[in-house]
Amino acid sequence: MRGTREGIGREIGLIALFAGAYLAISFAVQDSYYQLIMTLVLVWATLAMSWNFLSGYSGMISFGQASFFGLGGYAMTIAFVDFGITPWLGIPIGIVVGVLAGIIIGIPTFRLRGHYFALSMLAYPLAMLYVFEWLGYQEVSLPMMREAPAAFMQFSDQRVYIALALGMLVICMLVSLLAERTRFGMSLLAVKQNELAAEAAGIDSWRWKMYAMMVSSAMAAAAGGFYAVVVLVVTPPSLFGMLVSAQALILTLFGGVGVYWGPVIGAIVLVPLAETLHAELGHIVPGIQGVVYGVAIIVIILSAPDGIYWSIRDRLARRRRAGAPAEAAPAPDVAFPAAPVPAAGDRTLGGPLLELENVSLSFGGLKAVDNVTLTVREGSIHGIIGPNGAGKTTLFNVINGFLKAESGSIRFEGGELVGLKPHKVCALGLGRTFQVVRAFPRMSVLENVMVGAYVHAATDAEAVHRAREALQRVGLSGDQITATASGLPTKQLRLMELARALAARPRLLLLDETLAGLGHAELDDILAVIRQVNREGVTVVIIEHTMQAMVKLADAFSVLDHGSLIAGGAPASVVKDPRVIEAYLGRKWMDRAQDPVA
Amino acid sequence: MEELKWFFVDFFQAMSAGLLVGGIYGLMCVGLGIIFGVMRVINFGQGDFMMLGMYGAYYMFTLLGLGVLLGPYAGPVAAAALAGPVVFVISWFIHLFLVRHVTGARVVSSEAEGHYAQIILTLGIALVLANGGLIVFGSLPVSIPTPMSRESWSIGLIFLNKARTVGFFISVLSAAALYLFLSRSTLGKAIRAAADNPVAASYVGVDVDRSHRFAWSLGCAITAVAGGLIASTQTFQPYIGLDFVIVMYAGVVLGGLGSILGAFWGGLTIGLVQQMSTLILPYQLQNTAVFVVFLLIIFFRPRGMFGRVWERA
Amino acid sequence: MLRIRSLNVAYGGLHALTDLSIEVGEGQFVAVVGPNGAGKTTLFKAISGSVTPLSGEITYGGRDLMKMPPAERARLGIAHVPEGRQVFASMTVLENLEMGAYAGRGRVDWKTLLPSILDLFPVLDERKDQLAGTLSGGEQQMLAIGRGLASAPELLMLDEPSMGLAPTIVDAIFDRVHQIHQQHNLTILLVEQRVAEALESCDLGYVLETGRVVLEGTHDALMSNEQVRRAYLGM
Repeated sequence: MRGTREGIGREIGLIALFAGAYLAISFAVQDSYYQLIMTLVLVWATLAMSWNFLSGYSGMISFGQASFFGLGGYAMTIAFVDFGITPWLGIPIGIVVGVLAGIIIGIPTFRLRGHYFALSMLAYPLAMLYVFEWLGYQEVSLPMMREAPAAFMQFSDQRVYIALALGMLVICMLVSLLAERTRFGMSLLAVKQNELAAEAAGIDSWRWKMYAMMVSSAMAAAAGGFYAVVVLVVTPPSLFGMLVSAQALILTLFGGVGVYWGPVIGAIVLVPLAETLHAELGHIVPGIQGVVYGVAIIVIILSAPDGIYWSIRDRLARRRRAGAPAEAAPAPDVAFPAAPVPAAGDRTLGGPLLELENVSLSFGGLKAVDNVTLTVREGSIHGIIGPNGAGKTTLFNVINGFLKAESGSIRFEGGELVGLKPHKVCALGLGRTFQVVRAFPRMSVLENVMVGAYVHAATDAEAVHRAREALQRVGLSGDQITATASGLPTKQLRLMELARALAARPRLLLLDETLAGLGHAELDDILAVIRQVNREGVTVVIIEHTMQAMVKLADAFSVLDHGSLIAGGAPASVVKDPRVIEAYLGRKWMDRAQDPVA
Repeated sequence: MEELKWFFVDFFQAMSAGLLVGGIYGLMCVGLGIIFGVMRVINFGQGDFMMLGMYGAYYMFTLLGLGVLLGPYAGPVAAAALAGPVVFVISWFIHLFLVRHVTGARVVSSEAEGHYAQIILTLGIALVLANGGLIVFGSLPVSIPTPMSRESWSIGLIFLNKARTVGFFISVLSAAALYLFLSRSTLGKAIRAAADNPVAASYVGVDVDRSHRFAWSLGCAITAVAGGLIASTQTFQPYIGLDFVIVMYAGVVLGGLGSILGAFWGGLTIGLVQQMSTLILPYQLQNTAVFVVFLLIIFFRPRGMFGRVWERA
Repeated sequence: MLRIRSLNVAYGGLHALTDLSIEVGEGQFVAVVGPNGAGKTTLFKAISGSVTPLSGEITYGGRDLMKMPPAERARLGIAHVPEGRQVFASMTVLENLEMGAYAGRGRVDWKTLLPSILDLFPVLDERKDQLAGTLSGGEQQMLAIGRGLASAPELLMLDEPSMGLAPTIVDAIFDRVHQIHQQHNLTILLVEQRVAEALESCDLGYVLETGRVVLEGTHDALMSNEQVRRAYLGM
């Protein structure tokens, strides 16, 4: 399972098996040209592994792996040529340079999303390419060290290079495996699948991305340094060129994204193909290598967009499942409420837990939140109501840190929240759910909830424990927690999201239309869970449209319209407020429901 | 005194060159801007479609005899203009067989996933075009042999290269014609509707897929015309697209992704930056200057500086 | 005129509509009501062709819609006024109305229809050269309905016209819809979350919950139904 060490021994065994087999084959191959190809397969696999670590795990597509590859290569080369430093030291120096570049590039670039990120990553290696040409490094050859070749990583037997490259690749595979099985990989996967949800669940996405960038640039720089040692001549296009970055991405996409075998499979299939074609036909059709890569990537993205590894796995899984009967559609659940649930009634509530004071935020000219002041008392269920577009969800986004209030203050247990990032807000004990469930669709229910548990769990085992506990609180068990999140019915998704928020053991929950899309019977089930959680001491702030449910559930209402608070107080009095009727409930609601709270 | 005078001469020389080149870049950016504005697709192959336009114009001038037929002055212009329809047809089929599968209504529900596939598919197309170009056209740099590239008009001490000046005016006219087409014609309005809100557009009977195909091909063709104009001003080889893809994105982002007029102003500005950077930077770092400006824009003004952004409601 | 039989729609394995059957007769005003997420919008999307159902049949005037591309459906005389208005924000009010007539059949009548649309919604006349994105929510809703009418439709489908609007504006819009139905004898299919308002003016109503029809009947039958009164009308 992801996020745990289960079965890790078997995986290590497989890696050892692969390494042994590769080495055995390399000893059988006599032709030095094929030995060179076998070396290059490993170098490119390492570079592709670096792309997978950044882009495959975190979902931020990098077109700039060549920056780190090139810096690693040039750092080693310059150290060797100008300072006589052996590649044994030069490659580690290159790695340090690469990681530094990764940090310097990452700091500004992580602010960007999607295609902006991809585009700007493309600009870095191209800018470096021109700079290195301008600096006069058009073509640099490594000198042959005949006195002490081994001390300068020069071997007459090509198979030594294969063994070294294999060692480098195996280290990268092990690092990737370890990441996949710990919260490192789980956090990146959560960020990839839904960054906002991950932040709200307490994942510091920026930090994990930066770690991924550092590991990734280290791998790429190592590959670049080693590549220069093997080919002996470096030019800016061969290290910083578009084909380098493209190759990193293409090999991984071809082999399989987000799994460490992907880059290896991709390199083993494509590199020999492209290299052989280049050697056989390169003098007649010079661009054949690029065409092969281009066609490979077009075919793969149209036919198996996740790569070969996943296609094969899915096919095997389907064959295994073929015997089993298809899953039946959920049973109809259309009952109307049998009896009204008793209202919250008079309860003794604590002091203020969350206080908003003159909070404002505008988008362009539109005041989305306009000078809102409200207090949520400890232990209460506080309803936020108002028409669509009144700014209810925006208010939640301001409270949990997705958006920053332009003015005013938000205090939670007396501490200021304005200016804190969402994961910090989560760590303080303020959880939330979303209007449209933000699940991590490819993770199981348990894994989804584990992501929420990381924030206060010291170990991964503790996270599993906390996740199970939270699932129990919302009443999910058995098959329901091993199922993959995508394709779950709405009610289970809502409960899962609730459990994910609870796994961080919050003091306050922000629930955004948790009842939307549910039938009446399901609605009562969720209401029961919310009440139970509240009785256990969690304060709840809930946005909801179904007035009938809200009147019964909430201790207090705040009514928003056009971003500002138009009424607040006990439900019974709020629904009679003429302003509320005018702005939200409508006179027809009043005509028909003379006294819904009675 | 003399020194100051020559500084100003250099300055205005670089600025006028920047304006002229920038006008052609502007047209190039308009092509990319239409594709992004309408389809929300990042086309990494845009530079390579431009490269096709360059070779298209080159071969029409040399092999098909436009040079002989229309002479060394009208010939290059006609060749550049005709490169447009050629690339239009090629890109029409590329959309029909490839791009269509990862864009449009099919991927609306999976916003991020869609972008991922689009970026990678167009990267694949770019690789095939550039390297296929190497196979077909060879790696030797060429340019359209016209005296215009060497001749210039002079205004005082400032020289205006003829090829660039003609390219500038044709670019401005083409961009204006395109603007009129989009704002006045029914087809243009349908394309704008499909760009503004594809779902609503399909509800009123616009065939969004065909609008996208038209916009894609039109965008590629416009960039190709710009490429054809550049083919008279400098040498080029099949890999040239990559340099220009960044130039174009810099311009389009500067103008505000999705704004067509903005793309033109953005391209113009990039041309100015590129030419004027030579006043303080070595010639080889011209493009690096553009990349740095591009990064700065993306960091600080990702919504662009010019024009109205045609954002979805 | 519009007949839907045992329609099933699923998103990623999740059933959005289950065995749904609905019929709309010529000249009728049919309302489909239910809470948020009951599948009302999905139903409309299936009719307009922006989602592909798993199974079932949709016929319009005897013609099978299931295999017909969305743009072609618009040419049959079905006008879809989508949820959340979805006006062309970057185009002027007049251009929006013109786009409404884009589908072949409306284009002929477009200029003759314009005065009656502007009569119905005078505020659109005042703002005809303004960009649609700068209109208020209520004005955008009127524009969206006007755009639907510009295609000279036989069936007007309204998806939650009350969404995000203040009750007084909702009332005004429902009055207009009622007027369109009466004066032009237009067939109307309305989906609404505001049950009371929607049921008030309809001939026939369907109650949807979690993707199924749980109740159907005439205006009078539904208004007097105990369950509806308790669950939706707050009585």
